[in-house]
Amino acid sequence: MTSVAERPRIRVEHIMGMPIVLDIRDDVEDEAVEQVFDWLRWVDRTFSTYKDDSEISRLNSGELALENAHSDVRDVLARCEELRVATQGYFDLRASMPGGIDPSGLVKGWSVDRAADLLDHAGLRNYGISAGGDMRLRGRALPDSCWRVGIQHPLQRDRVAAVVEATELAIATSGAYARGNHVVNPHTGRPPSSVLSVTVCGPDLGTADAFATAAFAMGSLGPHWTARLPRGYEAMTILSDETVLSTNGFPAV
Amino acid sequence: MRRAITALLSALTLAVPVANGVAATRGTATSTTTKRKVVTKKIVGTAVQADRWGYVQVTLIVRKTTVTGGTRTKVTRRIVGITATYPDHTDRSVFINEQAIPYLRQEVLQAQSNANIQLISGATDTSYAFVESLQSAILQAKKV
Repeated sequence: MTSVAERPRIRVEHIMGMPIVLDIRDDVEDEAVEQVFDWLRWVDRTFSTYKDDSEISRLNSGELALENAHSDVRDVLARCEELRVATQGYFDLRASMPGGIDPSGLVKGWSVDRAADLLDHAGLRNYGISAGGDMRLRGRALPDSCWRVGIQHPLQRDRVAAVVEATELAIATSGAYARGNHVVNPHTGRPPSSVLSVTVCGPDLGTADAFATAAFAMGSLGPHWTARLPRGYEAMTILSDETVLSTNGFPAV
Repeated sequence: MRRAITALLSALTLAVPVANGVAATRGTATSTTTKRKVVTKKIVGTAVQADRWGYVQVTLIVRKTTVTGGTRTKVTRRIVGITATYPDHTDRSVFINEQAIPYLRQEVLQAQSNANIQLISGATDTSYAFVESLQSAILQAKKV
């Protein structure tokens, strides 16, 4: 186990249309930081729906056949289908791309999970990596403190609604307050109206993010659904009437 | 929720024409020229599949007031009670009906300070102005 540095090394880059924050607290030099950002840039080139030459764009245009796609692309699409079934169709890579596919709802979390694997493999034990507000944490942030993460207050931008403490966790939040109504209920084609945000914690960020997206899209049925998430996943839903509903194991302090 | 509401509405639509409820009369005549009759009926709707939560069956208590004055008759119906039961359910819906709500902690939304935190989890902002500015403010604050 490496020791925790007194001062963090933080790097922020803008990839996949969002800020990526890599915050390493291990007291060692390493090359893993470059590897992580190279990996995320490769993910962006391969999966972006905004780049005409990405594999996803070429799948959508019919230029690329699925069997010829990169194995990571096929893995992500297969996992999207598993998550669609697990969420009763509320997480659907066809929801925002009629006639095509847009797996970016999973790609962000999945790519951060893989980035965490790279850091683990490089021997790092104390780090946080956040992609546009969804993150993986490991170890400690300070020599005497675990990671403390604020859950964005959906109505007051300079405040947080809750604080989560963790030493090994993925945290994803889905909501309508930042990007506008970008999550729609695939069954109605309309954004949910009764929920401000859903935060899901668990071991895997791709899964947590998909669950948060699905629970948010479910609207007022979402909190009941989150009460039955698989073992290890916990949720906190903030309703429009400013009620907060959390599963019993949600790690807010 | 939308689907659940649709299910409830169709339960009501089906139920009203086949009112099979219990009737109780508690009206009296109010004057020599006007008669007022009040009847309360219990109407049990058909069990309807409510999304994945199993069947739901709605019971309405309807108060029907008939006012007769001379040759004119005015009838008003008012729903005075509504209950829902789950007559035929799966194990999953039993769990959800009985367990899910108590398993959720309910609190009022609080606005807390973001002091002593390292990262913020929030909805993705394409303009990233907000998350990034907050993030950078926190990071800056740490260097002070």
